[in-house]
Amino acid sequence: MNWLNDNVVLLTLIAAAAIIILTVGVVGKYMKQMQNDKSGGELAKENWDGIGEYKNPLPIGWALSFLGTIVWGLWYVLAGYPLNSYSQIGEYNEEVKEHSTRFESKFSNPDKATLMGMGEGVFLVQCAPCHGVIGDGINGKAANLTKWGTEEAVVATILNGAKGSNYPMGEMPAGLLDAASAKAVAAFMMQEISSVKKTKNAALVEEGRALWATCSACHGEDGKGMDGSAANISNYGDAKFVVNVLGMGKKGAIGSMPKFNDGRLTNVQKLAVGTYVNSLAK
Amino acid sequence: MFHWLERNPFFFAVGVFLVIAYAGVVTILPDFMESARPVVGKKPYTVLELAGRQTYIKDSCNACHSQLIRPFKSETDRYGMYSLSGEYAYDRPFLWGSKRTGPDLMRVGNYRTSDWHEYHMMAPTSVVPGSIMPAYKHMFSNTADIETAYAEAYTVKTVFNVPYDKPDMPKLGTLDESKKEVMAQAALIVADMKSQEVKDAFKKGEIKEIVAIIAYLNSLK
Amino acid sequence: MQAKDALNYDYSVAKCFTYATILFGIIGMLIGVVIAYQMAFPELNYLAGEYGTYSRLRPLHTSGVIFGFLLSGIFASWYYIGQRVLKVSMAESKFLMVIGKLHFWIYMIVILTAVVTLFMGVSTSKEYAELEWPLDIAVVVLWVLWGFSIFGLIGIRREKTLYISMWYFIATFLGVAMLYLFNNMEVPTYFVSGVGKWYHSVSMYAGTNDAMVQWWYGHNAVAFVFTVPIIAMIYYFLPKESGQPVFSYKLSLLSFWGLMFVYLWAGGHHLLYSTVPDWVQTMGSIFSVILILPSWGSAINMLLTMKGEWGQLKANPLIKFMVLASTFYMLSTLEGPIQAIKSVNALAHFTDWIPGHVHDGTLGWVGFMLMAALFHMAPRMYKKELYSKKLMEAQFWLQTTGIVMYFTSMWIAGITQGMMWRATDQFGNLAYSFIDTVTVLIPYYSLRATGGLFYLVGFFMFSYNMYKTISAGKAISSEPQNASPMSA
Ligand code: HEC
Ligand code: HEC
Ligand code: HEC
Ligand code: HEM
Ligand code: HEM
Ligand SMILES: [Ca+2]
Ligand SMILES: [Ca+2]
Ligand SMILES: [Cu+2]
Repeated sequence: MNWLNDNVVLLTLIAAAAIIILTVGVVGKYMKQMQNDKSGGELAKENWDGIGEYKNPLPIGWALSFLGTIVWGLWYVLAGYPLNSYSQIGEYNEEVKEHSTRFESKFSNPDKATLMGMGEGVFLVQCAPCHGVIGDGINGKAANLTKWGTEEAVVATILNGAKGSNYPMGEMPAGLLDAASAKAVAAFMMQEISSVKKTKNAALVEEGRALWATCSACHGEDGKGMDGSAANISNYGDAKFVVNVLGMGKKGAIGSMPKFNDGRLTNVQKLAVGTYVNSLAK
Repeated sequence: MFHWLERNPFFFAVGVFLVIAYAGVVTILPDFMESARPVVGKKPYTVLELAGRQTYIKDSCNACHSQLIRPFKSETDRYGMYSLSGEYAYDRPFLWGSKRTGPDLMRVGNYRTSDWHEYHMMAPTSVVPGSIMPAYKHMFSNTADIETAYAEAYTVKTVFNVPYDKPDMPKLGTLDESKKEVMAQAALIVADMKSQEVKDAFKKGEIKEIVAIIAYLNSLK
Repeated sequence: MQAKDALNYDYSVAKCFTYATILFGIIGMLIGVVIAYQMAFPELNYLAGEYGTYSRLRPLHTSGVIFGFLLSGIFASWYYIGQRVLKVSMAESKFLMVIGKLHFWIYMIVILTAVVTLFMGVSTSKEYAELEWPLDIAVVVLWVLWGFSIFGLIGIRREKTLYISMWYFIATFLGVAMLYLFNNMEVPTYFVSGVGKWYHSVSMYAGTNDAMVQWWYGHNAVAFVFTVPIIAMIYYFLPKESGQPVFSYKLSLLSFWGLMFVYLWAGGHHLLYSTVPDWVQTMGSIFSVILILPSWGSAINMLLTMKGEWGQLKANPLIKFMVLASTFYMLSTLEGPIQAIKSVNALAHFTDWIPGHVHDGTLGWVGFMLMAALFHMAPRMYKKELYSKKLMEAQFWLQTTGIVMYFTSMWIAGITQGMMWRATDQFGNLAYSFIDTVTVLIPYYSLRATGGLFYLVGFFMFSYNMYKTISAGKAISSEPQNASPMSA
């Protein structure tokens, strides 16, 4: 953890200690006076309900501190603050710039392990409230990412259809193919079209190729989605597919998945979380 | 001099009043002069959203949730762009809060959706294990007070010139017209929801508090 | 003995407010303990349907303790101290007696209505100013009545010079009047539109402006309800109970005017890093730091009044309560300014450290001082000895333990929370999801709630002690000049 590199944290810890030490110190001093000193002084002539008043002078430490803070305050208001020309948004911009220079070059070409580590962190903060900490979609409340992105999931999509990202083509209807054909097309798609480039059912690939026309009507011969008319499934199984979902959102059969295009996630972070999500289905 | 004040309570009181009054004048008034203008594109709340906002206030969500994103990277990463003064131009009262027992909600409309809110308000732990937020089941059975929401919109329109019924701005119109708008907006939310109770009530023309508060939460962007 | 020439002071209104203090103290703190346990055990939210959720109860806790417990305590001590330091009895004026009674009954009606409406969820959401406009108007009436009482009594006083406590009572009256009026400017919607709930209103100010007015009010509500009238009490009760003259007139004077001048500027510290102008925030921070001195001035004046009186501190539990109250006053008025430093506030704001700060002030300073005040008043109002010194000692230690548990747990919780919100992992990304920062705090929430429970049990001990004093205390023949008589 880099807690002590954070000035704010450091200052806060010092502040908390200072509160205790100063209070205990000063009160302790007066407690000693209660124990050891004697009260006294010249009494004023007034008296209220038996309460008198001494004409004692100001405690010197108190008076000097008061004066000191007043002088400091005047200086700050009249000179310190205007000269400093502070702006909190300026400070924020500095903070972001410093962060960027520190991390952007470091992670401009992240390797797989880096993406996985970073992606897990992003997932737990941004995605877990809907998809659950383990990505299982919390009993059908969001997409079950431990199943999603696999060959079985493609079969399910063909059987059940897909909707929700508002492509010009609209929805992908359910029941385009029967179960056996769906399995074959899925094998073909995984092997030849998707970026997974392998299938569990190599034997079915050729059968699937024959049926591919059903799909290419919308997704195009190459599966690239015909310039955004339908989903680009050529990068199915790749982080890019997830990045695309993050950009488009999805209001599907399960529920709605928000868009992540409000600037909270950088491109590297999106790629990272995509890589991580793809690793969830085993 | 001070002894004199202490024997003349009237002047003493005047003295105290002057000393305490002018700090307010000096620090508060200048901002009123250049009163925060709405940022470009900012729209006033629709009547349904206002009803949701009133529900938010009725149940004091602001006891646990802030609506103020400070300009720190740690906050903009979590919640989105830091807040601007002009974004609050239609917030009467402001709802910044002073405690984050739960997360900030200033832009929750960007990253949560109707169906999620439905699960969450019904049983927070069903989506966020370990959540200490109370469940708000009663919002699924209490009916939202659309008339008071309309009254509020009408009032701010009349008294503070909030731009309802202007081009590109939410329609207000008469109470009946406004109720139609409200039903239309509510229909979209109800369609995304799963609760049969809420759907049935909506068919009868009743809008539950949960629908209004979801409309409000979705409007926070 | 001064008792011989003592006037026949009329304590009937002071007694009424004493009962109210105890009643609302129990209600307010009971709700405090409930909401504190709800944060550790959320299942407790469902004991009373929609009326039992944390968020309905929290404004009831704050309004209950502030406007119920605290304000009754302030009024009780005003109706006690006022007559004595002005050397005039309320009974000398029929008018003032009527005003006093009316003040009490209207107050009770307002507070009870407030409790009911807050349970129903009728609220304007502004912290410490949740009440809707019909109640605001009632509050204004109530306040004006109090004003009549203060200035009426001053009008017929025998003691020409106002005692220090009077300065602070006058300031309380004026400060709250000004703040409350401006922060509650709202437009009733029914009267403009003709539809909807008749009692609903909308704020006169919007957004950032509303926030400025609210925290100008909110911060100074702390000043003029949690601080100024409590100082009025300690300046009377500590010297009176101990028989020691106030240490220094000059220190009283400078602290008073310093406090008045500086406090009002500091409200900006509730809005640091918000969208209010930078310079307003900066003023808030600067004046907060300067504010340490006038605040500490009064506390030091009181501690020095006890110079050489260690014996009394050991022997008299009332003195213990008051000396510890000054100490907690010093702690919270150093803590506040330090939290008002922008970089510290960046971490502390929105965290549990703020409720931690709040409760060192309210439990340690306000609560202790109020209870000591009522303890001091009881033998004199009822002509009875205090019922049990042992019980008082036990209460003192139990509640002190409770406060220490409360603020240490909230300091740790708040700072932990603040650090976790900011923490980043090796990739520079947020290290914790929000819920991680909630679940780590549960043990501290339990500890805080238990500390609060100790304090509440202590308050029951106090209430019982007061009840027994009134109902079964040993009668005393003449009023004691100083140390309050108490049975072992
Ligand atoms: C009528 C046009 C159409 C046809 C025909 C079609 N799709 Fe789709 N497909 C779509 C659209 C549109 C989407 C994007 C749905 C959304 O997310 O809004 C999509 C999405 C997908 C997805 C991604 C699902 C996910 O998890 O997000 C896969 C995989 C897919 N299609 C495969 C196929 C296969 C294989 C076939 C052939 C059997 C096929 N599609 C036929 C229109 C079509
Ligand atoms: C507010 C809830 C919510 C959040 C936050 C959320 N998701 Fe989703 N997500 C959903 C829901 C609901 C679905 C299912 C949509 C459907 O098909 O009905 C979904 C679907 C998906 C899918 C499948 C899309 C497809 O084409 O079938 C992926 C991939 C995904 N989410 C990734 C993520 C990632 C990565 C994050 C975080 C950066 C994230 N989600 C955050 C609710 C959410
Ligand atoms: C006791 C405190 C408490 C109260 C009162 C409370 N919440 Fe929450 N809220 C939380 C906590 C803690 C979380 C974070 C855990 C979670 O998501 O459940 C949260 C999360 C949320 C979220 C999700 C935000 C996000 O970014 O994940 C929303 C939306 C929300 N609350 C709305 C509300 C509304 C609306 C109300 C009032 C009707 C309310 N809350 C009252 C404590 C509270
Ligand atoms: C020199 C005196 C004080 C200063 C400068 C001061 C300063 C502060 C600051 C900076 C905050 C936190 C604001 C935030 O970040 O949310 C705060 C909150 C608070 N303080 Fe103090 N404080 C002082 C004394 C006290 C005392 C004596 C009490 C009570 C007895 C008190 C009661 C409160 C309360 C109730 C809040 C919470 C306000 C809210 O709801 O947000 N303060 N104070
Ligand atoms: C029995 C003792 C008490 C307990 C257990 C208790 C508990 C609580 C809790 C749990 C909160 C909410 C904190 C949060 O939002 O996280 C709170 C807030 C508050 N309490 Fe108490 N309380 C007690 C006594 C008091 C007393 C005696 C006073 C005043 C005289 C008081 C004044 C306040 C104030 C002003 C707040 C609002 C703080 C803020 O908004 O920052 N409390 N209390
Ligand atoms: Ca607060
Ligand atoms: Ca009000
Ligand atoms: Cu303050």
